[in-house]
Amino acid sequence: MKKNEKIAIFLLIFAAFVIVAAGLEFVDQWKPDLIIPGPSVTRTARLSDYFPKLKGEYCDTTIYFLESGEPGGTVMVLGGTHPNEPSSLLSAVLLIENAVVTQGRIIVIPQANLSGFSHNDPQEASPRKIHFETAGGGVRVFRYGSRATNPIHQWPDPDIYINQFGQSLSGSETRNLNRGYPGDPEGNYTEQICYGIMEVIRQEASDLSIDLHEASPEYPVINAIVAHERAIDLASIAVLDLQMEDLDYSLEISPPSFRGLTHREWGDYSDTLAILMETANASQGRIRGKTDEALVLTGKDKMYVKAAELGRLYVPYDENGHPIEERVGRHLTATKMLVENMNMLWPEQAVVYHGVPDYYELMEQGYGNYLLPSL
Amino acid sequence: MLSIELLYFVVMVGIFAVCCFKFKLPVGIAMAISAISGCLVAGFGVPIRHLIEGAFNYLNTILVIATAMIFMKVVQYNGMMDTITRWLIEKYYSKPALLIVGLSFIVVFPGMITGSSTAAVLTAGVLVSPVLIYMGLPKEITAAVVAMAAVFGEAAPPVNVNALIIGGGIDLPYIGFTLPLLVLTVPLIIATSLFLSRKYLKVFNFEKIKDNLPDSYLADFGIRLFLPTIVLVVFMVREAFLPKLFPTLGMPVYFLLAAIVGIFSGKKFNFLKISQEAVHDALPVLGILMGVGMFIQVMTLTGVRGYIVINCLSLPPYLLYLGIALSIPLFGAVSAYGSASVLGVPFALALLESNPVITVAALSQLAALGDLMPPTALAGIFAAQIVGEKNYFKVLKYCVLPAIVTAVWSIVIMIFANALAKILL
Repeated sequence: MKKNEKIAIFLLIFAAFVIVAAGLEFVDQWKPDLIIPGPSVTRTARLSDYFPKLKGEYCDTTIYFLESGEPGGTVMVLGGTHPNEPSSLLSAVLLIENAVVTQGRIIVIPQANLSGFSHNDPQEASPRKIHFETAGGGVRVFRYGSRATNPIHQWPDPDIYINQFGQSLSGSETRNLNRGYPGDPEGNYTEQICYGIMEVIRQEASDLSIDLHEASPEYPVINAIVAHERAIDLASIAVLDLQMEDLDYSLEISPPSFRGLTHREWGDYSDTLAILMETANASQGRIRGKTDEALVLTGKDKMYVKAAELGRLYVPYDENGHPIEERVGRHLTATKMLVENMNMLWPEQAVVYHGVPDYYELMEQGYGNYLLPSL
Repeated sequence: MLSIELLYFVVMVGIFAVCCFKFKLPVGIAMAISAISGCLVAGFGVPIRHLIEGAFNYLNTILVIATAMIFMKVVQYNGMMDTITRWLIEKYYSKPALLIVGLSFIVVFPGMITGSSTAAVLTAGVLVSPVLIYMGLPKEITAAVVAMAAVFGEAAPPVNVNALIIGGGIDLPYIGFTLPLLVLTVPLIIATSLFLSRKYLKVFNFEKIKDNLPDSYLADFGIRLFLPTIVLVVFMVREAFLPKLFPTLGMPVYFLLAAIVGIFSGKKFNFLKISQEAVHDALPVLGILMGVGMFIQVMTLTGVRGYIVINCLSLPPYLLYLGIALSIPLFGAVSAYGSASVLGVPFALALLESNPVITVAALSQLAALGDLMPPTALAGIFAAQIVGEKNYFKVLKYCVLPAIVTAVWSIVIMIFANALAKILL
C-alpha cells in the first residue's frame, strides 16, 4: 500500500470517529424533556389537535390544560418561543407542576418552538443542557436550545425572509417563531407552528395570552412588558403593582410597524389581550465572556459587569449577575399580577390560582426546590 | 484591559501563525488546530461537538461557493464568456471610462440581489474580468476592480444581509434603507472603478487587439448561449421579489440548475470533469470556512469573543468611531456576516442616539469590507482566482486605499446620521 493511501485510510477512519462522536451528541439533543403534570393539570393536547397538518412532525408540541372546573376566564402562557431564553421554559414548567387553579383555567405551552430545542446555534457555544437538584436530591434536566427552528426541519433559508406583511428580514429569521405570526397554514414549517398557536388562542378563546422571553442585557427592551394596545391598560396597572413589590419593569406598547411578533399579531388576529415579557439573560448576549451552564444559571459575567460600568447596558449588572431564580421569579410574579388585575378589570373572566412560587420565594429557596421529583 | 481571555487569544493566534508560516499547513487546518489549542488552554479539552457545530455555520456558504464555482466553469466552457467579452469590447472600446464603470455595476448587481460578494465575483465578476484584461488592465488590478465592486454590491440595496443581521439584533425593521445604502455605495462604485483603472483609461488601439479577441459564438448558438445566466437571474430575482411564487430552493440549487442548463446551451464540454475541477479549486476556501467556524465557536466558548467586543466598546467616545472603522472590517478576517452580528449589533446599540437606519447602513458597509480581510477574504480570493492570480495578496494590495476611503466615507455618514436622516428618510 502506498503512503498516500495509508494516510487517506487513516483520515477516513478519523473522520468516521469524529462523525460518530459528534453525531451522538447531536442526536441526544432530540430527546424530549421531562415535564411532570402538577395538581391542576386535567389533560394534555398536541398542537396538531388545533392544526392537523402538524401531526407527526417534530414540532407537534404538548399543551397542558390546568382547569378548575369553575366558570371563569382563560389565560394562556407560552414558554420556549426562543429555546435559548431558558427562563421562559422554566417559568412555564413551574406553572404546570405547581399551580392549583381554583377558578377558570390556564393553558400552558412550555415549548412553543419544540424544534428549536433540538439543536443549538452554531458559533454561540451554548451548553446543551441545564441541570437542577430537586428537593428530594434528584436531578432534573432541561434542554438549552436555539433561537430558531432546527434546519433539519426547515431548510434552506432564503437570502432574505419576506414576512406575511411584505417586510424584509434576515434570511435566518424565516425560522424565528416570533417573526412568523399570525402564521400561514400553507407557509413554511415555522409559519405553520405560528398558525397552530394562533388556532389554540382562537379555538380556546384565550382572554389573556402571555409570551415569555429573555433578552441580552445590552438590548433596550429588557425587564419589560410589551403590550398590544388593547392590553396596555392592564399592563400599566400590573407594572405599578410590580413596582410596589420592588420589581422595576418598563412598559412598551407594541409598535404597529414591527410585524410578525406575538404582542402585535395575537392582538390583531384574535380577541385575546396580548402581552410579551422580557428578563435579562447574559447567556444570549454578545458581550458575554466564557459560555457555559454556570453562566446560564447564575448570569455572573465579568464582561457584563464591565459593560455596566461603561454605561452600555439597560439593566443594572454587578458581580451577583442575574440568576435563573430572579428571571423565573420576575416572570411568575408579573404573570400573577397581570392575571389578578385582569380579574379586577373583568371579574366575569376571572382566573384564580395559587401554589406557584413568587420572586422572593424563588430567590430564597432556589429553582430546583419547586420542581417535582422525577420517578 | 488585561484578562485571561487575552492569553487564550494570543495562544490561538500564535498557534495559527506557527502552523501557517512555520509548518506551511493549509489555512483551514491551521485554524482548526488553533481552535483546539484555545480549548485546551482554557480547560475545555477537545470538545468535538463545539468544533463540528462551529464549522457547520458555513454549510450553506460552502454549498453556495462549490456550486457557484461549477456555474463559473460552465459559462467559461460553453462559450458565453468569450462571446460577451468580444461584444462589449467591439461595442464600447471608444468609451473606456463608461465601459469600466458599467462593468463595475454589472458586478455589483448579483451582490445587490443576494447580499453576497462571493456570488457577485463568481457570477458577474467572471464575465467582466476578461473584458477588463483585454482593455489592458493587469490581472491584479482587474481582480481588485471586481473585488471592490462585489463588496459594494454586498452593501448595495435592495438586499443587504449585513444590515438585516444588525437590524435583526436591535429589532429595527428593514425599512428606509434604500436611499442611505445608495448614498453609501454608488459614489464609491464610480470613484473606485475609475481610480483603480485610471492609468488605462485611454482609448485603446482596437485594431491592434481585434485579431486576438476571443471568438463569438452568438451566430452558432444564438440566445441559447446565455441560458445559464438567464436562468440564474430569474431564480435570484424571483426569490427577492416574488418569494411566495414557489418555495425557496436555496442559492446552491439555483447555481446547480443554471449550470446544468449550461450543458445544452453552447459549446460541448464534460460536465462531470469541470465539476470536479471546480470543487477542487474551491476546496482550500471551503477548508478555511470550516476552520473559521471552529475558531469563532471556540472564541465564544472561551470568552475571547466577549473580550474583543467589550474592549471595542470600552474605547473613549473620541476613539469610538475609529474603533468601529477598524474593528468591524478586521473581524471580517473570520467572517463579514459574523462581524455584523458580533460587533455590528453592540455598536448599533451603543449609537442608538444617532438615527438607527443610517447608522446600521453605514455599519453594514464596514462589515462588507470584511470580505477583503485575510485569511478568509472571500471577495479577494475569488477575484484572484477568476483572473488566474495565485497570490491574492497582490490583489488586496490594490484594494487597500479604496477600502480606507470606504471606511472613512462610512464613518462620516455615521457621524452625520441625524442630519442625513432629515434629507434621506
